[in-house]
Amino acid sequence: MAALSQRILTGLGTALSALLCVLAPWLRWPGMELLGVSPDWPLMWVVCWSLRRTPWQGTVAGLGMGMLQDGLSAPEPTHMMSLAVVGFLTARLQKQRYMQEDFISIALIIFGMVVIAETLRALQWSLMTLFLSTWDLDLISFSGDALPSLSTIWATHQRVTLSSAILSSLWGPALHLPLRTWWDRERAGDGVE
Amino acid sequence: MGRWWLQHGVSLILTGVVLGGAWGIRATQGAWLAEAFYWLHLPWSQQPDPSLLAAATQELQVQVQELQRQNQELRKLLNVPSPLGSQAVVATVIARQADHWWQQFTLNRGQKDNIMPGDVVAAPGGLVGRVEMVTPNTSRVILISDPSSRVGVVVSRTREMGILRGQGSQEAILEFFSKDPQVQVGDAVLTSGLSSFYPAGMMVGIVRAVNLNTSPAPQAIVELSAPLGMVEWSLVYRYDQGRT
Repeated sequence: MAALSQRILTGLGTALSALLCVLAPWLRWPGMELLGVSPDWPLMWVVCWSLRRTPWQGTVAGLGMGMLQDGLSAPEPTHMMSLAVVGFLTARLQKQRYMQEDFISIALIIFGMVVIAETLRALQWSLMTLFLSTWDLDLISFSGDALPSLSTIWATHQRVTLSSAILSSLWGPALHLPLRTWWDRERAGDGVE
Repeated sequence: MGRWWLQHGVSLILTGVVLGGAWGIRATQGAWLAEAFYWLHLPWSQQPDPSLLAAATQELQVQVQELQRQNQELRKLLNVPSPLGSQAVVATVIARQADHWWQQFTLNRGQKDNIMPGDVVAAPGGLVGRVEMVTPNTSRVILISDPSSRVGVVVSRTREMGILRGQGSQEAILEFFSKDPQVQVGDAVLTSGLSSFYPAGMMVGIVRAVNLNTSPAPQAIVELSAPLGMVEWSLVYRYDQGRT
């Protein structure tokens, strides 16, 4: 059992990395954008976290990051669902049992998860458009004037998914390496996984 | 004769080439030389003198102030209230959107500068959006390019009215109310004041295409006049939605 101070330090570092990933889309460094789309840093963090955790831990991480991302953009439709699903599925992959952990597999997992998450978000928008009326918008805390049309939703989905998947899978290994090194420090102290 | 050629042939040919080339330059008035000089000077070309730009900007500012003064006089005479206060807060964009579905950005002025939710935001080029949330030092703006944005607009030339909805890009869709709208490519589109979120008379964009066959009503593609991807700073105007 690692020393308590070691665990607290690791936890603080984890929290800080999560916060930075949620804030990262606000910044637009050169080279970080493809057709106006940035990498999906909160999703990448959830994948990196969930790779070696239980499905429960992955889901909770997804819910938490989803709530943070909701706070920075808009609460409805929520990001909690898509990120929770991503956390759950990534953890279920049981990566250390079935796959070697290397750059290519991380990139591929992130690519697939981005496609799944963006499709879920498009479905959330579509359900809102189909089943909510203008008056309901006041009841839920909707930030816009009206709901987008289905054609706009799926056109946005097309444009966003490919660019986000490419960028996120390219930057994924760059995020994964420092995070894994940080978390391995704690595991080395733990001894056996 | 052969020996003479061997001795002087080369120099004769060279002389011919040189004089022929020089004659060509003279005949074309140095056109090729001028072009070559242009391409060569490019690495050292200067930016226009900033003092000249400052002078031009100052002239435009004075003209605008004069026009605004005349506009105020006319409004007083006709008893039409002016929708926008002249006081605006200048703010810079410090953050873009946090996810891929919303079109927002964050400004570096907030409650401390008397910015409130509902205030209207404009940038060089035209209307950009409105403030949806404020903190003491920041404000989050939802842009008119957002797919959930609806702006009541009017075509400047013909006063044809419609609703502008965002597409998540620099082009938005204008849906008209009438089945036979008077609109052409190149027409300017302004806010109409019909939607209570934005005051009337703000520049929104230029019509780029018209499609009279869409249902339920004819549509036009409007290119938004403020380049949203490049906006670095903007003006925030106080706007109380209760006023007309």
